[in-house]
Amino acid sequence: MANISLIKRRIQTAQNVSKTTRAMQMIATSKLKRAQDSAVASKPYVEKLTFLTRNITDRIDPENISDYMKQVDINVRLLVVVSPDKGLCGGLITNLLKELLRYDNSFNNVKYIVIGKKAEKTVAKLGKEIVGSFDFGTTLPIFENVYPIVKLINDQFLGKNVSGVDVLYTNFFSVFSQKPNLSSLLPIKLPDDQTSGKDVKDTLDKIKRNSPYTLFEPSPDELLPSLLSHYLEMAMFQYLLESYASEQGARMISMKNATENAYEIIDYLKLEYNKKRQEKITNEILDIGGGAMALAYE
Amino acid sequence: MNLHLEIITPEKIIFESEADEIIVPTLNGQIGILPNHIGLLTKIIPGELIIRKGSAQTLLAITGGFLEVNNNNVSILADYAVKAEDVEIARAQEAQKRAEKLMQEKTTEKDFKVAQAELIKSILELRVAGKIKKRSSQS
Repeated sequence: MANISLIKRRIQTAQNVSKTTRAMQMIATSKLKRAQDSAVASKPYVEKLTFLTRNITDRIDPENISDYMKQVDINVRLLVVVSPDKGLCGGLITNLLKELLRYDNSFNNVKYIVIGKKAEKTVAKLGKEIVGSFDFGTTLPIFENVYPIVKLINDQFLGKNVSGVDVLYTNFFSVFSQKPNLSSLLPIKLPDDQTSGKDVKDTLDKIKRNSPYTLFEPSPDELLPSLLSHYLEMAMFQYLLESYASEQGARMISMKNATENAYEIIDYLKLEYNKKRQEKITNEILDIGGGAMALAYE
Repeated sequence: MNLHLEIITPEKIIFESEADEIIVPTLNGQIGILPNHIGLLTKIIPGELIIRKGSAQTLLAITGGFLEVNNNNVSILADYAVKAEDVEIARAQEAQKRAEKLMQEKTTEKDFKVAQAELIKSILELRVAGKIKKRSSQS
């Protein structure tokens, strides 16, 4: 008896779990869709901006380069970690933190800017200096979020407190595959010919041939800083979007697996429950039959 | 030869078409761009952007960005831009009121700047929206 009600209770529990995970899966799916859309939508802008910045840096004196592009000789680096606020997204956070620890081991002096609660805890345990800490949020990152982060990065880098800034985020390859990625943010190295391909270089050369005289209003030296700081904001925004899409993708898959597991358990328990029930009925019939026989013999 | 104009914002490509003349507010004042313009790279300040094609005219509100002219290809990288006919007047009015109120309350410098940018944006939106309304009622 007790056994049957126990199984019944377990079925109920598994059903509740499956409902929750299924709901989470569906939420993640719709969030992922939006994240992907906005990542795709901002692509032309980013490409054009990179292109413009390259165009302008190609034309100014190497001596006049912006502070953003200068190497500084200090043995301190700044790492910006982008992690989710919430868990339940498979191995994403574990992988990210593994990468974080590896980075921490390979450099002696690292300062941190953490975005997302999950990374914050780990970095706090490391006992390193945390320059700034932000919440990642559970909705699509908006552009305004970027300003305070970039301002902190600017202060550190232009104030010559750090020699370089790296970003650790999760790269979104597909719904099934997200990998932590370490990317160098400052000093700015524009995607060069190896990464951006031959096309970009060809177009740049063509532009130079076709319009050797380009007016810059105001002068390139004045234009470049605002272009570059904008470039920085946009790059940071891309990293946030990418991390967000990864988080939702990972959560969607892990919740899908959890739902399927719950269904499997429910199936198994139901079978067990029915077996037990049948056994009980058979026993009762045997009992009644036995009783009737005993009466008949008397 | 016509100009080919592209207006790109972080959200989407707002406008992509041929044009005869483009009038843009820049750091050094309002400039007009006609076909065969010399290569140019400049910074756009908040204001109205006018695109002429034949007798048709498109009006946009723009809050800043960069302009590049290259061999009759004009690209505008805008932080935010909206066509006059797409402006939601009620929403812009509300945004204006909200921003004005925020600026009056003595807030931090950062909040003040955000409110100020919001105010400029809503005023611009209302201005361009008002202009096309007037024009369509005249014709």
